[in-house]
Amino acid sequence: MNEHTIRLTVNGENAEVRVEPRMLLSDLIRHQLGLTGTHVGCEQGACGACTVIIDGRPQRSCLVLAVQADGTTVETVEGVECDGIENAVQTALHEQHGLQCGFCTPGIVMSLVAAHRAGVPAATAREQVLDGHLCRCTGYVNIRAAVDAAWEAAGDRRTGYRQENLGQESHRQESHGQESLGQVSLGQESHRQGGSE
Amino acid sequence: MRPRHVGQRVPRVNDHGPLHGTGLYVDDIEVPGMLHAAIVRSPVAHGILTAFESESVPGSASVFGPEHLRARVHAEVPVLWTIGDQQQLGTPLVDEHLRYVGQPIGIAVAGSRYQAEDAAEAVDLAIDYLTPVVGIDQALAPDAPLLYPDSGTNVIATFEAGDSAEHDRAVFAAADRVLRTTLRIGRVHGLAIEPRGIVAVPEPRRAPGNRNRITIYTSTQTPHGVRDSVCEVLGLRQGDVRVVAPDVGGAFGLKDHIYEDELMVVIAALELGRPVKWIEDRFESLLATTHARDEIHEVEVAFDEDGSLRGLRVDGRRNVGARLAVFGGGPLFTALGVVPGPYRWESVRCGGRLVATNTMSTGAYRGFGQTQAALIRERAVDLVAGELGIDPVDLREMNMIAADELPYRMRTPIQLDNGDYRRALRRAGELIAEAPAPPDDGLARGVGYCSYVQMGGIGPSDANEAIGLQIGGFESATVRFEPDGTVRVATGISPHGQGLETTIPQLVADELGINPGTVELVHGDTDTTPYSAYGTAASRSIALGGGAAVVASQRLADKVRAIAAEMLEANPADIELGNGRATVAGTNVDVAIADVARRAWQGFRLPDGSDPGLAESYAYEPVSATFSYATHACRVAVDTETGAVSVEEYVVVHDCGTIVNPTIVEGQIHGGVAQGLGAALMEEFFYDEDGQPLSSTLLDYHVPVSESMPDIRIEHLQIPSPHTPGGMKGMGEGGTNGSYAAVVNAVCSALPDADWSDLATPLSPSRIWQALHERA
Repeated sequence: MNEHTIRLTVNGENAEVRVEPRMLLSDLIRHQLGLTGTHVGCEQGACGACTVIIDGRPQRSCLVLAVQADGTTVETVEGVECDGIENAVQTALHEQHGLQCGFCTPGIVMSLVAAHRAGVPAATAREQVLDGHLCRCTGYVNIRAAVDAAWEAAGDRRTGYRQENLGQESHRQESHGQESLGQVSLGQESHRQGGSE
Repeated sequence: MRPRHVGQRVPRVNDHGPLHGTGLYVDDIEVPGMLHAAIVRSPVAHGILTAFESESVPGSASVFGPEHLRARVHAEVPVLWTIGDQQQLGTPLVDEHLRYVGQPIGIAVAGSRYQAEDAAEAVDLAIDYLTPVVGIDQALAPDAPLLYPDSGTNVIATFEAGDSAEHDRAVFAAADRVLRTTLRIGRVHGLAIEPRGIVAVPEPRRAPGNRNRITIYTSTQTPHGVRDSVCEVLGLRQGDVRVVAPDVGGAFGLKDHIYEDELMVVIAALELGRPVKWIEDRFESLLATTHARDEIHEVEVAFDEDGSLRGLRVDGRRNVGARLAVFGGGPLFTALGVVPGPYRWESVRCGGRLVATNTMSTGAYRGFGQTQAALIRERAVDLVAGELGIDPVDLREMNMIAADELPYRMRTPIQLDNGDYRRALRRAGELIAEAPAPPDDGLARGVGYCSYVQMGGIGPSDANEAIGLQIGGFESATVRFEPDGTVRVATGISPHGQGLETTIPQLVADELGINPGTVELVHGDTDTTPYSAYGTAASRSIALGGGAAVVASQRLADKVRAIAAEMLEANPADIELGNGRATVAGTNVDVAIADVARRAWQGFRLPDGSDPGLAESYAYEPVSATFSYATHACRVAVDTETGAVSVEEYVVVHDCGTIVNPTIVEGQIHGGVAQGLGAALMEEFFYDEDGQPLSSTLLDYHVPVSESMPDIRIEHLQIPSPHTPGGMKGMGEGGTNGSYAAVVNAVCSALPDADWSDLATPLSPSRIWQALHERA
């Protein structure tokens, strides 16, 4: 089968790989690049376990062909930075017992990290971003607690940034899709009491 | 007083992998030279395969059809539970009689998963079609097509439980009133987020007698059980097969045995002499990973005008699918065994039938029948309360077994151990009454309750044998100090999310007087762990696997004290263990336990009677099953225009005996509640009348999302088990058992005018709308 050469940046490293046109990005990441932290739960775009961040936006890597990722910058759970919101999300999930079998966890980490970077408030992350992920172990209760804890912890480090945005009109997400959440600009952040809380 | 680790919220020790991408699940395993497999499956629900042609398959792929596979098979795939007059004791690995969509009939192996799927699709099948039979009623009709024509019936087994017909008739005749209801319990899928998967790696080096040792990495909850079946079906020597469970992404009963398709992977690896990986996709998982429930129960309850419950009659039929799952009719048998629950009855009489249809097998799923038992009983109790106008909490309390009546033998006749059922009920009633008042928004609201007893810690082995269950009920542990003073605990239980890597070390640390951070659980590998027929299943792990570790640790602690006493020139009875040190009581004279361990492994100057080394093994045979219990209460809001249900408030008051780690217990309850809530409101696997699956994606099979789940208020009672070392009762399934019936009862309570005489779950918006507007 004809193959294509694509170039992309994964977790800060440049990669040039040859792929069949039908190869899924999730398979490229896991089986050609060896980054198995990204999990595949359905290949139907429903469970969210395979979520990675592509050019700043959280996307299900099972719904993206590898060739579509040519020229993009991809972040996986192995590559998220170990300070700031990334660490806050991971720490909160651990401390709040927000994972059991852990299979859905990497996708949730990536969506939450992307949401926080995009200025999505905690309530929206808790009530809408999480609805893009299926977890069969936790009943979501402790994941929601972890969202609040992570936003609390990361928000503390970004007090100046938060202050600037307090008082702005709250932003309600009309779409449940993750991609649209990724498009929220930083200026649209609402304070924690806003949103749909 | 040394610090106690049991009861503390010790953080989980194994979160790092999933959080940072360093876990090792089965699809993460890469082996040099590895090939990939895809399964050829039946596209029809009922038919005879007359040809399996692989001429169109590219030469780079290998295909094994029924004849080729059959040549490697020594025995049928076992069914481990024989119930009543059950005829089916096992099923062939491959069978040209196709009985459900998704039945594996061959395997294609190639250099990549993509190529293997191409090859599987290129196989040409010729099939003579037969008329399928899909539902229980259809299968029991007089002229129904038969799945197993030789048997003359679609009934695989019938059995009874509880009181005699004479006693039952006498109690019903003497009671003031009788109510009847029909409960249809929908077919569900346990739906672990990680699908099944297996990597079979034959060793190139041949053992004596030309036997290839093979290592099987598989997403399982029971590594030893998988090894048993692989060896039985393929005629391999047990020592030649190593089964490893790496990180497992959820199981819930679905991964409690080896499946036919997985055995085909093992055969392919042995035939090709190459490692072969197969990872189930979600479509296959929905079609061909064990389903659950799909039952119809005719329920009759006899009672007096004062609210006294007197008799319970249950006629249960279970759709077992096209063949029995590994534990056969066990879930229905278990349901009818525990259906009396925490109440006094004068008579309980149950009948069960296992019915074959052209659908996927129904087997183990969290609760293993006890979820259905709770619905049967708790619906009946609510019907009586509603009929008599008695508050459902009051009616429950007046019929509930009091603390001082325990132990109590149910009429089925399983013995309940200890606890205070009424206290859990009363407290749950108080907590749900304290919940914030609902807004005045026009939605219909109702509160539902479920009180249950949950059989966990199942055993002893002799009791298993007596009910036809062909696996032992004991659990084993080896607790071993390494020479550096750290401890490894080898266990047959096989955690996959339950946090046993954290909780078993808590138990062991307390017995040995050390920090749990120095204790590591060794699990999931038949080469390094003691035998366990169950692995982690059936709410047994902390009660029995934990119990075994406690006793082994106590014996090990005795040896530490003996050696320390020799080193400190003291009496062993005066040695106290704590904070990592062995101390002569009431003095400052002590020695580090790590130094004791080093000496034990040096063998220097050990006391008389002490062998060198520092390890103890114990096989714990339980004396009796354990019973955790709870009352769940919830409040729902129902939109009568749309039938949509929102669960707004949820409380759980429960007792699972000694709580090793409250955080982990609460997490288990949360997840269990979600699964019961899903079955109550949204989860249902559908077939059409031709037996074609209609729920073949996660967009068609709905499970709860975060929005579906309320926060949960939990209160713990802690009345230790009188039986288990450590006092744990087990609690992995309780959440599911409580929430299913509590949510159903709440919806029924919210809509008292709807017609619930023939109640089917899930209570989807359409079913609720119909109950309100079409049948009333």
